[in-house]
Amino acid sequence: MKGIPTVLITVSPEVSAQMRPPRALYPKGFKIGNSLGRPGMRELQQRVLRDALSLLTQNTRPGEFATIEYPEYGEQYEPPRVKKL
Amino acid sequence: MPISRKCVPFTPFDRELSKTTIAIVTAGGVHLKDQEAFNIADELGDLTYRVIPPEVDSSRLMVTHHHYDHSDADQDINVVFPIDVLRDLEAEGFIGGIAKKHIGYMGYTMQLKAMYEGTAHEIANDIDKGSRADAVVLTGG
Repeated sequence: MKGIPTVLITVSPEVSAQMRPPRALYPKGFKIGNSLGRPGMRELQQRVLRDALSLLTQNTRPGEFATIEYPEYGEQYEPPRVKKL
Repeated sequence: MPISRKCVPFTPFDRELSKTTIAIVTAGGVHLKDQEAFNIADELGDLTYRVIPPEVDSSRLMVTHHHYDHSDADQDINVVFPIDVLRDLEAEGFIGGIAKKHIGYMGYTMQLKAMYEGTAHEIANDIDKGSRADAVVLTGG
């Protein structure tokens, strides 16, 4: 296997960062269960997926996230935090 | 060893998106309604995964996962498994195509080593062999 490029869409950036994903998008304020947006918001879902896939063509560093705001999503949510031991 | 100190398998991307075939791999517990559901009764989690075909009617997909609220995905699976959205991007020419295999698994597990060293490799091999994917988009719940 030569490997396959990946890009992650995460709504829990602090949790996901522990795995240092090669490329990752955090759609700011989206709640868990809404990685691409809300049900039926197809244009928003398209924007999120286009933005995520575009990270494949950009210089990224494992563990760093592209944080993008999507005002049309509406109410914002705080992402889960990693518990400090 | 903390997970974060493991080697990161960074694979460069050297194609044009408009000529790229994409696969979806989701930890959101997505599977076909007529596939075996993930075992949410086992407190250790379920290490298996389901292969989802590219031509799937999204109304035939469902979620079995008890560690996030998937009521929105129950209404529109695209919020965690954007197969119809991928079709939109293919139709507009943003991507080149849709892979022949997509994967759903249940991201919750207490068996991290088995997930990392077993299931993850099996999924990567399944995508590598026969999916024709050039790149993968990963989603959680």
